[in-house]
Order: sequence, then C-alpha cells, then structure tokens
Amino acid sequence: MLHYLLVFLAGLAGSVHCLGMCGGFACALGRDPRGAAATLRRHLVYNLGRATTYCFLGVTIGFLGLLLCGHEGEASTVSLAQRILAVVSGVLIVFAGLQFFGFSLGRWQGLSASGARLLTRALGRLLKAPGSGAPLAFGVLNGLLPCPLVYAFVAQAAGSGGPLPGFLTMAAFSLATFPVMLMMGGAGLWLRSRGAAGSSPYSGAAALIRTERRQQLLRLAGGLIVLLGLITFARGVMPMSAHVHGL
Amino acid sequence: MSSCSHCLLPLGRLAQQREVNGEPHHFCCYGCCLAYQVHHGETDEPEAAALLIRLGVGGFLAMNIMLFSLLLYSGTFGPADTWMVKLVHWLLWILATPLLVVLGGPFLRGAWQAARQGHVSTDTLVSVAVLAAYGYSAGQVLSGTGAVYFDTATMVLVLFMLGRYLEARARVQAARSLAPMLAAERAQVRVYADGIDTMQPLRTVEAGTVVRVLPGERIPVDGVVLEGHSECDEAILTGQPERQVKAPGATVHAGTVNARGQLLLRATAAGNATRWIQISRLVQEALARKSSLGNTVDRLAAIFLPLVLLLAVATVVFWSARVPLGQALLTGLAVLVVACPCSLGLAASLATTLGIAQAAHRGILIRGGEVLERLARVRTIAFDKTGTLTQGRPQVVDLWIDAAFEHEVIYRTAALARTSEHPLSTAIAELARERGVSASIAKHAQAYPGAGVAGEVDGQLVAIGSSAFMSALGWEMPLAWSHARNFAGASFSHEQESAIEANPTHASHTLAFAGWAGRVRARIALADKLLPEADKTTAVLRERGMMLVLLSGDRETVVASTARALGIPTWRAQLLPEGKVDALRDLARQCGPIAMVGDGLNDGPVLAAASVGIAVGAAADLARESADIVLPRRALDSLPWVLCLAARVRRSVLVNIAWALGYNAIALTLAVAGVLQPVVAAALMAGSSLLVVGRSLRAHRAYAEPVAAADAVEAGAGLARV
Repeated sequence: MLHYLLVFLAGLAGSVHCLGMCGGFACALGRDPRGAAATLRRHLVYNLGRATTYCFLGVTIGFLGLLLCGHEGEASTVSLAQRILAVVSGVLIVFAGLQFFGFSLGRWQGLSASGARLLTRALGRLLKAPGSGAPLAFGVLNGLLPCPLVYAFVAQAAGSGGPLPGFLTMAAFSLATFPVMLMMGGAGLWLRSRGAAGSSPYSGAAALIRTERRQQLLRLAGGLIVLLGLITFARGVMPMSAHVHGL
Repeated sequence: MSSCSHCLLPLGRLAQQREVNGEPHHFCCYGCCLAYQVHHGETDEPEAAALLIRLGVGGFLAMNIMLFSLLLYSGTFGPADTWMVKLVHWLLWILATPLLVVLGGPFLRGAWQAARQGHVSTDTLVSVAVLAAYGYSAGQVLSGTGAVYFDTATMVLVLFMLGRYLEARARVQAARSLAPMLAAERAQVRVYADGIDTMQPLRTVEAGTVVRVLPGERIPVDGVVLEGHSECDEAILTGQPERQVKAPGATVHAGTVNARGQLLLRATAAGNATRWIQISRLVQEALARKSSLGNTVDRLAAIFLPLVLLLAVATVVFWSARVPLGQALLTGLAVLVVACPCSLGLAASLATTLGIAQAAHRGILIRGGEVLERLARVRTIAFDKTGTLTQGRPQVVDLWIDAAFEHEVIYRTAALARTSEHPLSTAIAELARERGVSASIAKHAQAYPGAGVAGEVDGQLVAIGSSAFMSALGWEMPLAWSHARNFAGASFSHEQESAIEANPTHASHTLAFAGWAGRVRARIALADKLLPEADKTTAVLRERGMMLVLLSGDRETVVASTARALGIPTWRAQLLPEGKVDALRDLARQCGPIAMVGDGLNDGPVLAAASVGIAVGAAADLARESADIVLPRRALDSLPWVLCLAARVRRSVLVNIAWALGYNAIALTLAVAGVLQPVVAAALMAGSSLLVVGRSLRAHRAYAEPVAAADAVEAGAGLARV
C-alpha cells in the first residue's frame, strides 16, 4: 500500500505538469447547457476516459512484464529477467523525473511534440462536439498524448510485476491527477463566466497558479518520481534480503 | 464514371455511400471511408468529429474489455474469487455489446450488403467470427460456466479496422501521383472577371473565359497567354522533360504545370473538352478495367470465401470432439479471420495502378492492366516506317546549284512551292523558312500530276519537277546532272510514296529539279530522314534480345536501306494496310505475341491486330484509336522504358500473389491445426495487406524518381486536392 501511496503523492505533485497542456483541454471542455450536474458529469466522463487509457496501458505493460518474467514465486529467487526489467524501468523513471528539473532528451521532445500536434488536431474537433460521447472519446485520446509523467508511471507499471499491480499503479496515478484536472475545468468555467479569460481560457487558467509556485511543485514532483525510479532500480540490483516489504 | 472520394480509384462492387459535410461521397471500401473522414475532418467539422467519437468510444470500451480480460488471464483472481470472476464476465458482456454496435456496425452492414447480392465477402467472415465469439461468450455468461471470448471479438474488430484504415492510407499514397489526373474533371478554376478572381468548377469554363493560374498550379484549360511570363512543365502531355517558355500569345495546354510566374489565360476550348480531360477519362477507364490476372484473383476469391466458411465449420466440428467447445470455437474463429483474402485482392490491382500512374506521368497512356500483362510477354516488336521511325515527310537533304545564287533558287522555288500541298513543296517551303527567306506566291501556277509544277514568279516562268518534266519544257540540264538521266527524278502526284522514284545510288533519296529562263538551275535531294531517337531505341531493344521487324508500305529499296541503317534484320515492303495485318499474323504464328508500333492514324487495323498496339505521337484522336498504348509525339525512345515497366508490373503482381497465397496458406494451416489464436490471426491478416501494399510501393518507388520533381512542385504549391 505504501508503494501506491507514494505513486499517488508523486502523481498529485506531478499533476501540476498537467496544467500545461491537459489543463487547457479541461478548461476548453466547458459547460453543458443542461446545468451544473451535467457539466460535472461531462468533466467526470472526460477524466474517466483519460483514466481508462492510463489503466489500460498499466495493465498491458504489467502483463507484458509478467510474460517476460514469469509469475513471481515460480522461480526460487526473483528471476534475472525481472531484475533487468526493474533496472530498465528504474532508469526510465529517473530520466522522466529529471525532465522536471529541466533535463531533456532532444529527440524525445521532438517526437512527443509532433505526436501532440497530431492528436491535438484531432482533439480540437472533439471539444466542440455535444453529447457525452465526445468528452469520453476526448479523454481516451487525450490519454494517448505523449507526456513524460505518464511515461514515468508506465515504466513503473512495467516493473511492478503483473497486470494487477500495473493497473493499481496507473489507477493511483490517474486518481492523483483528478483534483487538478477537475479544478482546471472549474477554473475554466469560472473564468469564462467572468469573461476574464481573454482570448483563450487556456492561458487564463494556467495563470491561476503563479509560475514560481508551479516551478516548485514541479521540482517536488520530479523529486518524488526520481525517488520512485531509484526504488525500482534498487529492486533490480539489491540482494533479495534487502527488499523492503511493501515497496 | 464514379470513383472513390478518397483514393480516387474506381468503385468496386462493394462501394459505400456516405454523406460527408452534406455532400454525397462514394468510397471503394470501408478503409477509404474511414481515412477520408479522418483526413477531411481536419477542416470539415461535424461528421469527422462523429467518426472520431465513434473511434474514441470504441477505444474506451475495447480498452476496458482488454484490461479486465488481461486481469482474468493473468490469474489475478484466485479460486476463492469466483464471484469476482462472474462479475467481470458480466461486466465484459455489458461493455462488449455497445462495442459490437460501434465498431462492428460497418462490418455487419458490409456483410449484409454482400449477402443481399448473394455472395460472401471478407466482411462476412469478420462478422461471422465476431458474432460467433460474442454469441458463445454470452451463452457462457448466462450459464455461468467456462471462459468468455469477448476480448477476441473486440481485438478482431479493432485490428481489422486499424488494418483497413492503414491500407486505405497506403493506397492513397500509391495513387497520389495519379490524383491530379483523376480529379481533373472535379478541379476548381480561378476565373478572372470584372477585376476579381472567383473559384469555379471546371465544367463552367467555356471558350473565351479568362483564367488565372498561379505558379506551381496545374493549368486547367487549353488557352492562350494574355499576361505574364512563365515556364511550363509539359512532360505529362509531351514527355519532354525541358520546361517550355510561355509569354503573352503562347498557347498553353491543360494538364501542364505552370512552374514559375503567374499567368492570365484566355480559354480556347470548353473546360471539359481538353485533351487533359480526355486523358483523365481514359486513365480512369484503364484503371477500371480488371486485368486478366485480377479477374482470376476475383474468381478465386469468389470460390475461396464460401469454402473458408465451410472449412471453419468443419474445424469447429473436428476440434469439438477433442477439446472443450470454447477452444474448438476459437480455432474456427482463427480460420475465419486469417482467411480474409484482402491481400490477394490488392495484389494485382495495386501494382497495375502504380504502373499506369507512372506511365501517365510521362505522358504515356496505357489502356488497362491487361495491356501491361500482354506487353510483358511480347518478344517481337514490329515497326511501321513512315512517321514512326522517320519524320514522315521528306526534307531537303542536299541542294546543288548551277548558274544562280542559292538565295535566288530558294526564293523562286519556295514561291512556287507555296501554291502546292505536295510533300516536296512542303519540304521546300520549310527549307525557305529555315533559311529565313520570305517568298511571295507564284502566279498562274499549274500542277502537272506525276511531273511537276510550273508558275510565274516575278514575271518569269519557274518550274520544279522531274528531269523528264525539265526536258519536256526544253530546258537545258547541266552536264554533270544529266549523266544521271536515269534518275527519273521526282514526280508530282498525290500518292507520295509510290510515285516518288528513288536515286539508285542513294536508295532513300529522291531528286527533283528546278529552273527558269530556259535552263535547269538546281538539283534538290529529298529524303524522309530517320528520327534521331530511332537508332538509339532500336539499339536498346536489340540489346534486350527483342526481335525487331519492319513492316512498311514503302518501296523495297527504301525499306531495305532503313532496316539496314537501324539494324533491323527482318523487313517487309510494299504492304497495303491489309497486307500489314496478314504479315503480322504470319509473324505471330512464328514468333508468338507481337507488339506493333505505328503512327496510330494510318496504322489502325494493324495496331488492332497486334497483341499490343502502340501508337506514337498521334495524340489528336486519342479516343478513336485502336492502340493499347499511346506514346507522346517524339517519344519513341520511351518504348524500352514501357517494356521495362510492363515486365516490372508483371513481376510485382506475380510476387504479390505468391506472397498473399503463401501467407494465407501457411496461416490457414496453422489456424486449422489450432495453433493460432484469433487475435494473432487478425493481426497477421492486417499485416499481410500492409505487406503487399508496402512491397508494391517499394518496388515502384525506385522508378518514380524522374516524376518526383513534378510532384514536388505541385506539393510545394499546395495545390488544392479535389
């Protein structure tokens, strides 16, 4: 449980990162003409779609990890493959975490930028479509947007040892992003109703949190993610006896 | 003719009709329908969004189904959690039902459409597989026993949809080079009137309409330049790679690309009466014609699909006696899914389309895939002489002068020549034009058939004609020339080839004499010159091991000397059109299929009689021609390339078919043996189509390079696709 709590906290801190792009989407999703409850449902459905994609990624990658390593306990010791997987995913997580401190891999950035462009073009249209199918589809596709935060937790899920831990890891992460995303949706509505959003609710909402505060939160998130990575990495290289129960 | 709105290829039997943005569109397949809506959704809002929502909701359901199925498979729920397993089964059922509607709908509709027409399509196989998996799983949930396969149904649907989408995108890439040609009739034209430009459909353009063409755009109409200077790439009509300079007054042709500057044109013909539109229609027709290999494949598929259904049933029956029913059913599903002969259907059509597209870009028209197939088998090529290997009209090749100035001779003969349409007169007039001599017109000119022509130039009697004509006039012949009395000279008649007699020493030369004031002052040697590209072309073909034959209506001496000059071993002379047909049939009995190369207008019957009739340069009457392949004027040297193309397309088609059949056979065997999971089978199937598409594209890319530059111009200018 401690492990998932750590994931949740890292996700919560890291969700400040969501303000940048996904927050804008949440703002733009706007209001349902049928009232406040319908509007809330619209935003919840959107986040459900997003969470589904994350959980699917978690389960799939966990399942692949399982296929690669076999069931835990089948072998007398944790298999070599599982250790290698832990090391690799640990390194990936650390890398993803370091991004929050300003380290970046140029090519990866370019790749994620072009992927984002492609998806945002598709997503832009969905935002304007009425009904609750649209926010769901929007959320599902939104979940596929390239994002270092998601990559970090997917890597975590890969090393988690099975579909269920993978699922729980990503579920914890998804839940952690809910508050910020719902808040952003609300902020978008509020700004819009006051007409203070200027040309786009996007920039208005992002301005709600001061840049320095955002920087601090991002560093905190990065620190937590790097910690997660180091723990995962350690599972791969430390002797069996040193394994901390629950982590 | 209707064509797919997405890939622009002709509609098949299972065409789909959709309304996109309020306009009816036709699609050749579901993949194109998907791809078109996704692509055009970028600008056109509501319907594309509807499709994306469908995909997104489908994705949501599919992901949930996969998520819970993976949890089940990995043994997350132990024996103690049976209630949990049951709950998950119910949940899967609840999720799978809307999914069947959302993602399975198009396949079910396709299957229904095919069933109503009384045949089985690939959609039928997918639908049966998915419905069987769904129905069986639902039964399992109700009875509360055993495994469920909702995830199988889901993955089959998702993979097939993904496969179709990718395939459609790849096909568009394949047809991209053809797109402007196929869309010619639907093009929008920038019409200039009263100081403003408006975009109007091409069909509204009439002769006299003023049209503006921006740099990089394709010229939509035949017309005359009113304003602007530019260079045009006319390769698509003439095969000439060099750009042609266009200034006010110059004629421009629809279909050519305006490379440099802005042009203002006045249309000289209606928008849909240009040669470009004619070519567009011909290419569409060519693409719609199934090649014989393609037909064979279609017939195969028609037998194959019902067989697969039977085989799947047999597989289920066989395995159900040995393993639990669920597993047997899965094996049957794998058989159904893996046997979809999508790649087989693509194998012939794609390679052929690519071939026709490449040829069209060089201004070469090929009437259908079957022509390419026949051409690939040809080992003998017969040529017509006049107008095909030669210029088709005599030219002055030598001029001897006695007691006169050259300028004077040309001036007087040209003045007389302008009164006659005879080929010799034309040659003399052309010589005058080349030398920059402007002549008046002779007065009181009179033609003496078979002898010559005489008339008054500047008050003096001038005559051109045979040596006999000169003696009849009583004019004195210089001694050196009269030695060759037996030249017989040139005779003036309307039967050019039979009447002009040859110089025995220079077999293909013809001599004429000209004189005035009582004496012969010029001896003119005329010959039908070989085309500069003829020598190179025949040399290349000989190197390739082609047997070459010359069939001509001309005199033996002339034909023999031409054959000798070009290294053509076999020739037949003095053949009437019917004689050519007979000679061709004789040769065909000895050497198998023959391609006949002629000038299209005079050689109609023989072109029609050949296995492949190839017309050179007779573009004027495209539609009426009996030729299978039309080369642009002066593009005889592209003949080796066309032969190469035919060989390549044939190879590509055969390899594709071999791949598709081999792939299907192996996969089907594995599926029947129960080794293949349906999900893997679906992935394999999607893979095989992509493999065939990728192979064809790669095989052709190497040859497409000369065309790439023209494409780049077009792409760079962002020419509106229609």
